[in-house]
Amino acid sequence: MELERRGVVAPLVVTETFLPLVQAQARARRVEPRLVVVPHPVGGLNEAELAGRIEGAAAELLRMADEARGGA
Amino acid sequence: MSTDWDVVVVGAGIAGLTAARVAAEHGLRVVAYDRLTPGGQLVNLTALHEHPGGTGPELVAALTAAAEGAGVRLAYAEVTRVHPGSPVRLETSGGEVTAGAVVVATGLGPGRLGLPGEEALARRGVSTCAGCDGPLFRGRAVAVVGDDEWTAEEALELAGWASAVTVLVPGQPRWSPDRAARLAAAERVEVVPDATVTALRGEGVLSGVVVRTADGERALAVAGLFPFVGRRGPEGLVEGLAADAQGRLVPSGGVLVAGDARAGAEQSLTAAEADGRAAGEAALGALAASSGSLRIVDPTHGVLPEVDAAPVGAGSTATWTDVALFTNSKPNATELLRGLGERLQAHWGLPELGFAAKENASVAAEKDTIDWLSQRFKMVLVAVGD
Ligand SMILES: Cc1cc2nc3c(=O)[nH]c(=O)nc-3n(C[C@H](O)[C@H](O)[C@H](O)COP(=O)(O)OP(=O)(O)OC[C@H]3O[C@@H](n4cnc5c(N)ncnc54)[C@H](O)[C@@H]3O)c2cc1C
Repeated sequence: MELERRGVVAPLVVTETFLPLVQAQARARRVEPRLVVVPHPVGGLNEAELAGRIEGAAAELLRMADEARGGA
Repeated sequence: MSTDWDVVVVGAGIAGLTAARVAAEHGLRVVAYDRLTPGGQLVNLTALHEHPGGTGPELVAALTAAAEGAGVRLAYAEVTRVHPGSPVRLETSGGEVTAGAVVVATGLGPGRLGLPGEEALARRGVSTCAGCDGPLFRGRAVAVVGDDEWTAEEALELAGWASAVTVLVPGQPRWSPDRAARLAAAERVEVVPDATVTALRGEGVLSGVVVRTADGERALAVAGLFPFVGRRGPEGLVEGLAADAQGRLVPSGGVLVAGDARAGAEQSLTAAEADGRAAGEAALGALAASSGSLRIVDPTHGVLPEVDAAPVGAGSTATWTDVALFTNSKPNATELLRGLGERLQAHWGLPELGFAAKENASVAAEKDTIDWLSQRFKMVLVAVGD
């Protein structure tokens, strides 16, 4: 979040469970983070499960990245 | 007496956030400092027992919103020393501040056995967070050291992943009959009372522990070790304040102490919240006493403070080909980032990606790393908040 404050586009990958916490932190730091939300958990997943998380999040990330680049 | 703040709260766990909110609701100018992130121990708790707050992160969100709604300012800095008096002076990593009253709510440090090699094995088998690291031990044996209610809950949570959970109790368990029954019914859990861990085994990563019981010493092969003993309070933080044997502070001389950091605290969410509420009320009383009977309160309380400053560019000359990954080194975070980074690399035809890592998820990122990333890169993909 400090990176966004400094003008860097910094998408943050966060799991559903931790979304409320990250949002609270963002409010406290007065930043609007770009969040890529994935199902919880991430730790402990095997390779195939992890590939599924990557697959699920990639489209949203690419959209966000294109939008940031386009809007710059 | 003119001070920077009416009340400074040290530590924004459940006790500190509650104390800060209550004081702010009385119209006081309140700042709550945390060296990490608001929430404290709650951040590590996926399931809450004996508290109706939902999950840990949900409760943190609610507590933070309530505190901010009341006008509390949350600040990110470590308080390194408190000098009681009128005013109270606090040394912080962001400079010195003064206040009319202080509430110390720093909680306790992480569990420690105090054995050689323990620090080096932290997050290489030694952990104090079942919710965070439990999945790493899927199908492997782990040991838990402790004797209280939360040790029992952590052991039961770990049994959902590990092949075997040995609970090493330094003396006799202090948990309730209900938890004893649940532990006894859990197939993969064994409770060993009067057990002392005397050594850790492992090169680079933990491979086992040596345990002494009345029957003598034996080696126990485990991939994970979760110590919930040896947690210490903020002894020495406040000039002149006495501490108990566990380093927890004894409130006196107008210094308020709330939550786990207080000598005699029960160490539960409900107790810490009640303590925080009482400290918030007491802060009002302490200020009234120090300034005579008339107190002018801040009429703007409840109004969110102004936005600090517009986002600042760091004078960076980075372009859209300068993209980096920044991992907090949580399990699988780096792998997840690399996978997503590859997609972006292919999508934008990027020649390469920068990379930075925070060694440990539970410490704040180093300023040097943030400086480097913000000057060198246009976009930084960060993971993982879990
Ligand atoms: C494994 C485990 C499981 C638990 N499960 C439960 C449960 O299910 N139900 C229940 O009721 N209780 C549970 N508890 C107990 C409960 O979590 C604690 O009693 C409670 O969270 C304590 O809150 P606190 O605000 O006093 O301290 P903490 O939550 O520890 O917060 C202290 C804060 O102070 C900050 N801090 C420390 N020093 C400084 C400094 N010098 N400067 C700035 N900031 C500082 C820290 O970063 C932290 O954010 C559990 C405890 C453990 C260890």
